[in-house]
Amino acid sequence: MQEATSTRRAIAIRTGGRARRPDSVRLRRLNILVGALSLPLFVCLWELVSRSGAVNMVLFPPPTVVAAAVLEWIRSGQFFGDLLASLFRVTTGFIIGGALGILFGILTGQFPVISSLLSPLFHILRPIPPIAFVPIVILWFGLSEAGKLFLVVWGVFFTVWLSTHIGVQKVDRGLVRAALMLGTPRRQMLQEIVLLGALPYIVVGLRTAVSISFYTLVAAELAGAFAGIVYRIEIAQQNLQTGQVMGGLAALGLISFIADRLFAALAERLVWWR
Amino acid sequence: MKLALASSSASVEEVRKQPAIQVSNLSIVFDTNRGQNIAVDRVSFDVAPGEFVCIVGPSGCGKSTVLNTIAGLEVPFEGDILVEGAPVYSPRPDVGMVFQQPHLFPWKSVRRNIAHGPRMLGKSRTEANAIADNLIAMVGLTRFADAYPNTLSGGMQQRVAIARALANQPRVLLMDEPFGALDAQTRAVMQDNLLALRDRIKATIVFVTHDIDEAIVLADRVLIMSAGPGRILREVAVKLPRPRSSSVMLEPAYLALKKDCLDVIRAEGLRAFNQSDAN
Ligand SMILES: Nc1ncnc2c1ncn2[C@@H]1O[C@H](COP(=O)(O)OP(=O)(O)O)[C@@H](O)[C@H]1O
Ligand SMILES: [Mg+2]
Repeated sequence: MQEATSTRRAIAIRTGGRARRPDSVRLRRLNILVGALSLPLFVCLWELVSRSGAVNMVLFPPPTVVAAAVLEWIRSGQFFGDLLASLFRVTTGFIIGGALGILFGILTGQFPVISSLLSPLFHILRPIPPIAFVPIVILWFGLSEAGKLFLVVWGVFFTVWLSTHIGVQKVDRGLVRAALMLGTPRRQMLQEIVLLGALPYIVVGLRTAVSISFYTLVAAELAGAFAGIVYRIEIAQQNLQTGQVMGGLAALGLISFIADRLFAALAERLVWWR
Repeated sequence: MKLALASSSASVEEVRKQPAIQVSNLSIVFDTNRGQNIAVDRVSFDVAPGEFVCIVGPSGCGKSTVLNTIAGLEVPFEGDILVEGAPVYSPRPDVGMVFQQPHLFPWKSVRRNIAHGPRMLGKSRTEANAIADNLIAMVGLTRFADAYPNTLSGGMQQRVAIARALANQPRVLLMDEPFGALDAQTRAVMQDNLLALRDRIKATIVFVTHDIDEAIVLADRVLIMSAGPGRILREVAVKLPRPRSSSVMLEPAYLALKKDCLDVIRAEGLRAFNQSDAN
């Protein structure tokens, strides 16, 4: 132990306790600075181009106009209603679709009979883009909330089902044999080995499903709604409020970015042994 | 359960005489797309309680298949296997297994991995952890009790796998080339560890390897197998003194034994070569 500490100290003395290549430090600082300037530069350029008269300001409003539209959106109280409506659809659809996907993924991954029964069907339905279901969803559900949930659930389900199915199938047979040799009853194999073995795949599937749930949200709200971020974008488009349209896009981008980051952080906790 | 009770009610004398493992006329056939492949052909041997038997043979000769069948992971095509007098139908907790790959549960710490077996047999978490901590000390990994397997070296992982297999206090320990994936230096250390460990546990051990030196260093008796189909060519009793370490390899008695084994293997190699020539 003492030897190890003294070696460490010797290394510290040899390098003089400071970084040996100040050039690389300078370069890294420059990169951070450029990174911090990226967005402001872009916004300034946008403002200049919009106001230069080279483009139609109504169709291509500057950021200041967009910001004003967003502020007005918030002040009118509509923003939170829209946000809540959209978030409700995304999260409920994600949870229902994810839960069903995991359940069926385990069933088809674990039991060949169920897989023979369901997998061909799922493989035919899966490649159809969820947006293509909008017309029939309107026929079935009208403009009700159930139809919107259906679209999000549909989009999330197949991704999560497939990744869970593959994850369950890819569980290391060696682990199952080791567990059997240690007296693990077969009926406990699912919770002790299979679920945890498949967990990294399930988490990847869920993460992909986060962005899919936002894609399908767009389709769902364009199909006719009474509140929601995308609904607001559509209304603004009809009134030629381009600033509001862009503000809506920015809001949608921001919440799906936050959702993705949050899930990435959660995923790291879920697969705790990595 | 009934069988286990029946064998425990047998007289003490009878149990003492009874071999720990009896393999009689074991044949195993795999169906492949090129027809039936006889992996193991009428293999018979007994292992006495507490004995350390090594099975050596070229890869593909059916060593793992024999071991898996004793473990209850594979079903015999023909023949019988009795462990402690009772036939084997499926994995039993009194038979432990260490595979070539450690197959540790990646989501469990070293302690939880080792405690898994006792937990499955209904021990409380505290009891199971106490058993695990004892074994962790025995394999010299106390500092790594809370580490996850992916942070350990190959040799350390295999030590955890051995400790995990011992946690259910198996009467029979099966080891399938457990050091096969390790580098030569680590392997020598592991062999010495196993020899020391073996003097402290009472388990009967069947150890499979393709390395003659490893077999002679470890075993009381070496079974030499031939390939295609797997048969037992010869039994060689290893009467080297215990406690032993891998340095036994420098002794004349060791070299004489190794020469015996190599002669058997060379004769078989020659026979197989001539036969394939004739075909
Ligand atoms: N599950 C299996 N299906 C078909 N053939 C197998 C299977 N397992 C082993 N074999 C065949 O049985 C023979 C013995 O294999 P194995 O017991 O793994 O040999 P060893 O452990 O001595 O290297 C080989 O020819 C192998 O191809
Ligand atoms: Mg093998």
